[in-house]
This record gives sequence, C-alpha cells and structure tokens, in this order.
Amino acid sequence: MDAVEKANTERQKRWVKDQKVGEGTYAVVYRGREASTNRKVAIKKIKVGQFKDGLDMSAIREVKYLRELKHQNLLDVFSSKTNLNLVLEFLDSDLEMIIKDRSLVFLPADIKSWMAMTFRGLEFCHRNWILHRDLKPNNLLIASDGQLKIADFGLARDFADPGYKMTCQVITRWYRPPELLFGSRYYSTAVDVWSVGCIFAELMLRTPYLAGESDMDQLKTIFRALGTPTEADWPGHTKLPDYVPIGQFPKTPLRDLFTAASADTLNLLSQCLIYEPRKRISAKDGLNHAYFFALPYPSHPSKLPKCAAQLTAALPLEELDGNTLSGKTNRLKRKLSSPDDAKTRSSVARRLDFTKQTPGS
Amino acid sequence: MANRLNWLQGKTVRKNTPAGSHSRSSSTPQVHSTSSTIFGGGVKDPSGRITEYSSDDDQCPVCKSDKYLEKKLRLLVSSCYHKMCESCIDRLFTLGPAPCPICNKVLRKLAFTPQTFEDLGVEKEIAIRRRIAKEFNKRLEDFSSLREFNDYLEDVEDITFNLINDVDPVGTEARITAYREANAALTLLNSQREEAYILSLRQAEELERKEKEMRAEELRREEEEERQEKESGKREIIERLERADGADAAKVVQRTKRERAEREASRKGVAPGKGAQALLRARMAAAAATAATKDTPHIPFQDDYYAYDDMFVLQRVYLDPSSEAVRKDREGIMRAGGYQVEEAWERAVRSAVAGLDLLPLDTVPSSYAMDQGGDVIMSSA
Repeated sequence: MDAVEKANTERQKRWVKDQKVGEGTYAVVYRGREASTNRKVAIKKIKVGQFKDGLDMSAIREVKYLRELKHQNLLDVFSSKTNLNLVLEFLDSDLEMIIKDRSLVFLPADIKSWMAMTFRGLEFCHRNWILHRDLKPNNLLIASDGQLKIADFGLARDFADPGYKMTCQVITRWYRPPELLFGSRYYSTAVDVWSVGCIFAELMLRTPYLAGESDMDQLKTIFRALGTPTEADWPGHTKLPDYVPIGQFPKTPLRDLFTAASADTLNLLSQCLIYEPRKRISAKDGLNHAYFFALPYPSHPSKLPKCAAQLTAALPLEELDGNTLSGKTNRLKRKLSSPDDAKTRSSVARRLDFTKQTPGS
Repeated sequence: MANRLNWLQGKTVRKNTPAGSHSRSSSTPQVHSTSSTIFGGGVKDPSGRITEYSSDDDQCPVCKSDKYLEKKLRLLVSSCYHKMCESCIDRLFTLGPAPCPICNKVLRKLAFTPQTFEDLGVEKEIAIRRRIAKEFNKRLEDFSSLREFNDYLEDVEDITFNLINDVDPVGTEARITAYREANAALTLLNSQREEAYILSLRQAEELERKEKEMRAEELRREEEEERQEKESGKREIIERLERADGADAAKVVQRTKRERAEREASRKGVAPGKGAQALLRARMAAAAATAATKDTPHIPFQDDYYAYDDMFVLQRVYLDPSSEAVRKDREGIMRAGGYQVEEAWERAVRSAVAGLDLLPLDTVPSSYAMDQGGDVIMSSA
C-alpha cells in the first residue's frame, strides 16, 4: 500500500456514514458524523462510474470553488473504491422549505434579513470573480442559528476571459434571466442578481414569481409580468442568438402584485429585475440600497422563522428518540461552511501556501 | 363546496321550486330553475349570488307562451328593460344584433340578463346606480369642505335621476363623460383603495375562520383523549377485580381510582404529548431568544475586505488583442448579454496589485534547495 492510499484510508476512517438523505444527478448525499467527536456532517458521494471520461464537470467545479471560497469550506475529501466523497457541514433546512411551510409568517424584517445575507454571500462570490449560476431558494441553506449560506457550486465558474464563451444552459429556469433564455454566451454577474430578484419576490409572494413551463413559456411569463422590453429598455437584445419575438405585453407596475410592499422594497426589486444586464443593480450596490437601511431593521438571524424539522433538530438527541425526525430525514440537506476546522483543511489541501513555509537551507 | 365555488364565479344559484308552492300567491317571487345558460349579468347580492325572479303568471310578451304550457319558460331582460323568453331571444338575436320587437332599440343576444326583481323599474335603477357608483367614487377626504362634498353628492343624484327617468339622456351622458375625463386618476385610485379594503376584509375573515377551525379541532381532540382515558380507567378496574378475586372489591375500586387521579394530575403537568411538547419548548426558546436579541441596523459588509482599490486606476482602454472581438461588438450580440470586457481587465489588474504587497520569500522550505539560477530543485530525500 503506497503512502497516498494509506493517507486516504486514514482519512476515510475519520468519518462514518449513517443514512442516505438525498440524491442528485451526480451525487448521493449521506448523513454522517465524525468518528471521534460525533459531530454531524453531510457526506456527498460523487458518482464516478457512470461518466466515461472521468469525473463529472460539476463535481470538479464544486470542489474547485468550495476550496477557493474560504468562509464556506469543505471539511475533507477522500475516495473509497472509485468514488469521490466530499465531507460538508450538515445544514438541515433550506429557504425553500421555509417558504413552503405555511405555518410560518414572514415579517418584512425577516425578508430583509434573508435578502441581506443572500446579497452578502453573492457579493463575496462576485468579489472573488465567481458566478454562482444556480441561485434558488433550494440552494440557500439555513443553519440552525439562522444564518443563510449559499450552497451548490456545481454550476459555478469564474468570469470568462474575453473570447471564451460560456454556456447559457445554466440556472434553474424560473430564476433564469432573459439574456440567458435568449442564448447569450457572454454574460456577467447580472445573471445572479436576476435570480436574487426572483427569490426576493418569492419571499414576499410565498410562491415562485416567474414560473414558466418551458424556456419559451418562461420568457412569456417574464414579459407578461414585467412587460415586453423595447430596444430602448435593452439595447441589442434582438441580436442575441436565440432571439425570437414574443408577443407584446404591457408593462404593469409591480405595485399591482406586491400590494403591501414599501416603496424601497419595490425599488430594489425592480432594480434586480431590469432587462438590460448592465443597468441591473450589482450585489455590492444592492447591499448599499436604501431598502436595507430603512426601518424596520433586518431581523437578527436567530429570530428568523424556522421550520419544525429544524426546531426539533436543535434539541438534544434524547428528546428526539422515537419522534419527528425519522419521518423527515429524507428532506434534510447537506452543506458547507464552518471555519473551525482549519487543521483538517490544511492537511488535505494540496495548495501552494507560501506563508506557512518553514525556514530551511 | 360546489355551492361556494358557484357564487365565487358569479353563477346563478338554482333551487328547485318546492312542490307545494303552487298554493302560494302567484305573484310571490320564486327562485327559478333553468338549464345552464350563457346569460351573465344580473344583480348580485352581497355574497355574489344572483337570485332569479320568476312567477307562475310569466308570459312572454313576444310569443305569448306562458308557464302553463311551457314549464321551462324563462324570461330575460334586455338592455331596454323589456322581457322576452329564451326561445324568442334565440330566434331573434342569434344571427346578430336586431331591433327589440317592443321598442325597436337594437339589441344583442349577450346583453340580456336574468331578472332579479319583480319590478323592472327597480332592476333598472339598481343597474344605473351601480354604474354611477363605479364612476363617481369620490370620498369626503377628496373635498376641502363638507359643503363641497354635499354639492357633489347632489350632482351625482341629479345625474342618476336623469338616467333613471330618461330625462335629457344625451346631456347627461355628456356630463358623465366630462366627469370621467376630469377625474380619471382619482377614480382609479379610489377604486383601488376600495379593492384593497375589500381584500383586507376578506383576509381577516379567512383568518378568523381558520382560527375557529383550529380551536374546534383542538377541542375535539381533547374530548377524544378524555373519553379514551375514562374507558381505559374502567377497563383497569375490571381487570384488577378479576385478578384480586379474594380481596375486598370496594377497596380495589377505590385504590385504582386514587392511583388514576394521581397519574392524571402528573400527566396534566407534563401534557400534551412528548413530541409536541418538545416542539413547544423549542418554539418558546426561540421566542425567548427573540425577546433577548435586538435587531441591529444593516451593515452592508461584515468583513474588512480590502479590495486594493487605492492601488490602481483602471485605464479606459488596454492593448488587448484577445478581447478585440468583444470590444468591436459594442452594440451587437455580445453587448446585450451584459458582458463587459472592463471587468476582465479589472480582474487582471486587481489580481496583479494584490500580489504586490506580499513579501518576497527570503527563505525556502527545508525540503527544497535553490540552485544558482533560482530554480527550485526537489530534494532527493
């Protein structure tokens, strides 16, 4: 057994897989724990076998960006047989569950708090030149202390150098901006901001704002809600590769749908949903928007509404025996972040870290 | 449920006339029963229902058929307030607009409405008042004095009276049009206010209903629990009596009852149910946390991120052959996607200056050796 294999087995022994909690297209997620401390983690097993030419692209992307974005980190990576396993922080709910839980009531301050955290996370990605490209409530995980964390970097990539095309088949349809629906291959951070705008609206409506049934229908849904863009609204959009004229819809004021929202709220929302990507607000400007400074102050994360599964999860284990949790485990989710494990990280990372080199020769 | 949906959609509510109703005076309004119909409109009561008027004396003034011969006779009202039976309407107006056989006003088939009131005058007045109320919806707040508001109401009443009694119809319509043009924005605003008010009322109602349901559910559950408790108590007594056949029966019964009462008391202290209670406690803890932590004003950035913004100034243009295609296409297919080549430049420059304040390595790790040319050689170990 060579040294690499040995190190790998050792690492594998640190973690114990418990039960399967979910399955995606390229990975299976298990609930697990650290063998020595019993700390709860999520283990994401990447399916390797089914891809002819090695690892799935999104797995590589996910590992790459999780390693890069420091305050959301991966705990460990090991392989067993031919599978690659990622050990991630275990977070038990996401924003989608909370939106769907009809027993919860959202205050304007709660929505403000979630939006502030989303914008802050997004700004961090953009600051590090990374486009997330799959923002949706389902991918905004909620920690037990109420902190919101952006997850699932399977579709993320860094800004393209000029001349490199990017794919337009990203972002879940309901949150996909019109420039991607029109097949643009050159886009920027504005695509994520559109998704955030859709999430913002969804938090207020408690139902997906722009829910199209197909890509064509999605455009129609957007235009029906926000009016068909003119050349003045969005210069050059008729020249985009997949442009097709879609019926003329009048522009209806957002106020008609969001009757209870304040003027600041609607202003930020409308700025997130501007057709022209260059005019769309940036994550940084979004954080400085008057909406966040106006009263009421954003709720403290610990006061945000939580769903029942999460409340029980926060309780000591013995209280849980025999009730609630077993039925709900398949809805639990996994994910990243907790800066407390720096030691593990450095032992795994094969990165060049010039600051820690020891003196010698 | 079906009933409720009906009135939501403004459908006519149909009830069969009770069998004994023939003995009643024939002029008594009766709720009419018909087959489904294309005719909308009619006067709705507050719950959105339309009640149709019909009597045994109904007779179509056009074809003279009556209830006696034609059981299903249903009279509808034209926009000129003349009655006609359904088959006459079909016959006269299916091929397009045609003159009314009574007053010669040109009518359309779809403009016929069901009749609600016995007196067509009332029917007409209500229709007109509804129309006027929709247009003239100013409120007291919109006027500077009560006097002006009263004058306005007087005017409205005047117009209404004219319309109902066909006094100077052309002039009156002109007055309405003039008012509509002058007050379009205010009218719209007021109608929106009204809608919002109705919506809030409905929501409050819904909330109340839900709460009531929940309370009833709770009560039912409690009762059920109590019943089960009692039953199991009885069973226990019987079982004990079975087992302790030699002992004093009265004593056994008494002891069991006392034990039960004790258990009951302790259960009430711990109730209701383990899981629910854990949840409740968690909710309460959350509520306590709510009371304890204060909301703080928004701070846009919570990390002290240094972006090296002061270390460089971005030029307007760089010599960059690789981005030429993108730059040339300022208004073309690449432009509308939002891609900006300046961002790529900014990234490059920022990354470059970010490396500037790192100290150069003055040492190399022990496992490496540096040769004269500055290349790193792996140690042989």
